[in-house]
Amino acid sequence: MTSTENKEKIIGLVCERSVELKDQLDEKGCLKDDPNVQIIKVPCSGMIQPIMLETALKNGADGTFACGCRIGDCHYREGNKFLRERLLGTRMPKIKPSTDQRRIQAYWLSVLEYEKLQEMVGDFQEYLKTIDSSDAATGSASQAVEASS
Amino acid sequence: MYTERLQTFTLWIEKGLNKVFSQKYNPFYYHGALPNFFIWTLFISGLLLFAYYVPTMTKAYPSVKYITEQIPFGNAFRSIHRYAADGMMIFVLLHMLRVWFTDRYREYRIIPWLTGVILLTITFLVGLTGYLLIWDQEAVNLTSMTVNLLGALPLVGAGLAEFFMPGGKMVDFTLTRLLFLHLAIPGLLMFFLWMHYLRITRPVTDAPAPLYLLLLGGLFMICGFFPVELGADPNRAAFSQSISFDLLYMWPQWLAVKGWDAGWVWALTLGVIVALLWLPYLHKKTLRGQFAHVKFENCTGCSLCYHDCPYEAIEMVDRDDDTRFKRLAVVDAGRCSNCGLCVGACAFKAIEIPRRESADVLEEIKVALATTSS
Repeated sequence: MTSTENKEKIIGLVCERSVELKDQLDEKGCLKDDPNVQIIKVPCSGMIQPIMLETALKNGADGTFACGCRIGDCHYREGNKFLRERLLGTRMPKIKPSTDQRRIQAYWLSVLEYEKLQEMVGDFQEYLKTIDSSDAATGSASQAVEASS
Repeated sequence: MYTERLQTFTLWIEKGLNKVFSQKYNPFYYHGALPNFFIWTLFISGLLLFAYYVPTMTKAYPSVKYITEQIPFGNAFRSIHRYAADGMMIFVLLHMLRVWFTDRYREYRIIPWLTGVILLTITFLVGLTGYLLIWDQEAVNLTSMTVNLLGALPLVGAGLAEFFMPGGKMVDFTLTRLLFLHLAIPGLLMFFLWMHYLRITRPVTDAPAPLYLLLLGGLFMICGFFPVELGADPNRAAFSQSISFDLLYMWPQWLAVKGWDAGWVWALTLGVIVALLWLPYLHKKTLRGQFAHVKFENCTGCSLCYHDCPYEAIEMVDRDDDTRFKRLAVVDAGRCSNCGLCVGACAFKAIEIPRRESADVLEEIKVALATTSS
């Protein structure tokens, strides 16, 4: 097993209808390929409140991401679009400006795209290592949120 | 379930399309909007044809001939009108299949599905009458075949046959009535389209301009390479049996020519319609008794959930209890899809869905982080 000591702890809020994780999770709900990534499932990415992502960071996660279906393909029509707008700050309730937005990402992936999620979470891990935690600059969330689209 | 495989199949196609078109312009993400492109194309090209068309026995064919040969781009407009009709049917069917395959047609989406089946029938009728109006030898043959099929219907059959061919003959009324239907049924289409959108908040009625341009370009190319042709003059030519069928609209007549009994053709047609209407009821209900509930003590009446609900299931009502808030969100259980978009919209913990409480999600986050850090 890879050592979990020097890796960044990530909380991922994932829509049930996006990436299929049935065979990818261990009993604690972490990714088998990367036990530092804890997955928490929600019925739709549109249900994710900005405060959930803020809570994850506040309670000690190094990073957190939301994963919904492809933009345009939400089962409930507009969930992922709304979450994206909330993270970009154009729809209420918005993410708090004091949050370190560099530590928040959003991915839009369909059931079939687990490899892509794995790849992007890996990149996120690498990116988090380069961030100085004392420098709480609120970077642009838009960059991260748009990255996967 | 078989639907899961169908969904995976659809998503697999879309994954490929995302590579070609990018997510932003993937036509599958605008499947409901694309038929609207054809509605507009058909309306505009149809206006020109209507301006020159004369619905009488002797003048119909010459007027179509005039459009084809004399008017600048007349035949181009005819070609566009004809191929756009095919495009309409193809994209409507794709829209229907995708909605079915991805399980988005039942329970809280029942009204769009049922009106959709009606819209499909209407589209079919408009296209069918359009083919008959051309009034070359082929169209005349098709008209008599169509009226024969209509006449085979029980109860209403004789009346319908009489409506189109009074006294069993083709007369001027035949054409005026066909033209009337060809123009009036689209009015009905608009009505049902309105109903189609009723329970949908912010329906996607338009695709991005590049997709429309692509469709328009494709349509022009088909029209350029395969311009429509006008058949023989029915007033002069000898009766001939050769007909090329457009199977999107002409399959009942095609089946009749293949030797199907009129009764079986109708059984198939009506069977398909009834089966489509029945489809959503075959599936076991998954949402019985499950809907979002509002915590009255927390609701501030801010109406964010009301605006964000994708199925118009939330209503804002006046409240007169002893809070300082004037409005209250109320959920219509029958329309609620239990999706939780209202939960994401609420900043006051005032609305929850039964299958996933937001407090549980927050708790899970905290627990997950507590166990690793200790």
